[in-house]
Amino acid sequence: MQNSKTHPRANLSMRTLLAASMLAGLAFQPTMAQTALAQTASSPAAAAPALVAKPKPTHEVPFKAPDLASLAHEPNGAEILYGYRLMTQTKKLLPNNVGAAMNCTSCHLGGGFVPHSSAFVGQNALYPMYNPRAARVVSMADRINGCMMRSMNGKPIPKNSPEMKAMLAFMAWMAKDVPADAKVKGAALYKISTSIKPDPVRGKAIYAERCAACHGIDGEGSKNAKGEYVFPPLWGPDSFNIGAGMARTYTAAGFVKGAMPVADSLHLPTGVGRMSDQDAVDVADYFSHQPRPDFPAAIYDWPKGGAPKDVRYCLVSLGNCTPAEIAKAPKPPGGK
Amino acid sequence: MKVTNKKSRFYYVSGFLLIFGAVGLAQAAPQFSQQEIERGAYVAKVGDCIACHAVQGGKPFAGGFPMPLPVGTIYSSNITPDPTYGIGKYSFEDFDRAVRHGVAPGGKYLYPAMPYPSYAKVTPEDMKALYAYFMQGVKPVAQPNKPPTMIWPLTIRWPLAIWNWMYVSEDHVYRPDPKQGAQWNRGAYLTEGLGHCGACHTPRGIGMQEKALSASGASGSLFLSGAKIESWYARNLRGNDVGGLGNWSVADIVQLLKTGRNSSGAAVGSMTEVIHHSSQYWTDADLQAVAIYLKSLPADPNKPKAPPPVAPVPQPDLHSAGSLAYAQYCAVCHQNDGEGAAGVFPAMAGNPTVESRDALNLIHVILAGGKTAEVKGVHPFTMPAFAGVLSDQQVADIATFVRSGWGNSGAAVSASEVAKVRADIAKTH
Repeated sequence: MQNSKTHPRANLSMRTLLAASMLAGLAFQPTMAQTALAQTASSPAAAAPALVAKPKPTHEVPFKAPDLASLAHEPNGAEILYGYRLMTQTKKLLPNNVGAAMNCTSCHLGGGFVPHSSAFVGQNALYPMYNPRAARVVSMADRINGCMMRSMNGKPIPKNSPEMKAMLAFMAWMAKDVPADAKVKGAALYKISTSIKPDPVRGKAIYAERCAACHGIDGEGSKNAKGEYVFPPLWGPDSFNIGAGMARTYTAAGFVKGAMPVADSLHLPTGVGRMSDQDAVDVADYFSHQPRPDFPAAIYDWPKGGAPKDVRYCLVSLGNCTPAEIAKAPKPPGGK
Repeated sequence: MKVTNKKSRFYYVSGFLLIFGAVGLAQAAPQFSQQEIERGAYVAKVGDCIACHAVQGGKPFAGGFPMPLPVGTIYSSNITPDPTYGIGKYSFEDFDRAVRHGVAPGGKYLYPAMPYPSYAKVTPEDMKALYAYFMQGVKPVAQPNKPPTMIWPLTIRWPLAIWNWMYVSEDHVYRPDPKQGAQWNRGAYLTEGLGHCGACHTPRGIGMQEKALSASGASGSLFLSGAKIESWYARNLRGNDVGGLGNWSVADIVQLLKTGRNSSGAAVGSMTEVIHHSSQYWTDADLQAVAIYLKSLPADPNKPKAPPPVAPVPQPDLHSAGSLAYAQYCAVCHQNDGEGAAGVFPAMAGNPTVESRDALNLIHVILAGGKTAEVKGVHPFTMPAFAGVLSDQQVADIATFVRSGWGNSGAAVSASEVAKVRADIAKTH
């Protein structure tokens, strides 16, 4: 309500854009908005809600996660708890949607409770949000499915499924104490300056010394006695694909800087301050550039420009893709 | 005036004696073979002399390590061969009497913080090697000893003779048990003697004495039966299923002493330092001997038996605050299924720190965190301190949950128990 008052024109233009693209079909360069429609093709087009970006947060609030132990008092506590379990045991509970050997919690540590590792605390308050990679406003569900297709190298979760609803209920609960116009301090990844030049040779040495004990010297991750991954593979066929944020040097460096290595400090959060920015960039550059699954549709990312410099693939919007790369990408492209 | 005169005369005389003593020593100093010195270095490692006779960042064996007692603080002494401040003027007999009987030259009684009741069992061969090492393998450090902070009359030492008479019942070199094999006897010798395991793992009596110095005798069943030390619990090393070594194989014990961890868990508290300074360097044969000896110590029949290993994996349950707090704060490392990660995050099932009869170590590591032993070639891992994050009730909920899940048989933990440990830790940290 508040949003439509603040941005009546944005709302109108989105509706127009969506309607126009539906009518125009797939003429000319496909837009990411069409992708969203393609994914929700089963729902009646008329009912598709027009997304309006939330206004930018006006202030920061301290990082304070709600207590899972209080779920017994929530009317939908069971659903929220299911959402938590889906976030932490994603591969096990959604084997058809997860292609990689990853769980949401592989990057969002502790199921989103741990600061500086893209924590879920307060995230829901920021959505719908304009996403420059997709050049459109995306919902929380869209964002989750972006992860499913890229970081999880899998398939989107149907928006009306109990699983997606449970994940959304969990995300909403994780933001229940955060004001609508606020951002949670320390929830996002650290920002690492892209002016730091990566040294992958140094990165390889740092990886061997500080990462390999858990993630394996060849990035293969490690498994428990039941053959389930405990530490996610950082490259290879079971890892996140090339379209994931973690496949980009400076995003990965931000994660490493704020969350890695774990179990390295007596002070919470344990991963903070264990590596310099340079170390984080070097090691992130090393592991993010190792071989990993492709994501051909990524060539349609940043359709309106503004791609960061650490993007590892060609972009149609930059005109630097080969005909082969374009032929390989699905049409209309998947992902956001 | 009189005192000053006396003092200066004392200094004059002792200075004179020192010079002549030093000259005499230099002339008569016995030369030890390199082999003997190296053997002595190993004896010193097994005896873990460095643990108390050095401070962090200080010179090896120069002493000064504080040991707080209820009546004041005592400091370990300089045992380098420095002739003035160390033990450089000790004859072998002086050295043997100090290490094995707690009496320094001049008849000065040592505080029994020095585990001489255990060292009494050390063989003459080992003592000679140890002497060779301390005389010629250790660098002299001219660092004066720190006097204890106790007030008179507690500084008077002769009553320690009475203490020795009352409590040091086995003041003799280890006597092998002819009914047992060489390996078992070697294990008993290392455990009861040089390794002085009982100093922490045997409960102490009213006079702060270890209630048993070996597994034999009337109170032998108390030997290594577990004891509280500072705010840690030195676990039961006898054959009990719960809290003891009943569930561990010889290989499990060896692995823990060698690396600080095994498939059941990781050493916590001051044991990590014992592993760091001492047991990682023991030969495999010695570790094996100790493990075989420990496995032979019978269980206390009054202590609980572990339930059959049906181990249902507890799931986060809406109506179990402990399961939910575990999910939120612990599962990120120890995993939702409690399996942890081999060699990195200890598992919950059958973990002695988790299910020990005394929950002290579990509460302690949750509140204060802990670091695995620093061992050559093994990456150490740290558990963070949750004292600033979790309330007493939350810690109690988590502890109760992990002590009762996965087939563990630990009793529930109350918030007031947690509060007590929290206060104890605040005092020592």
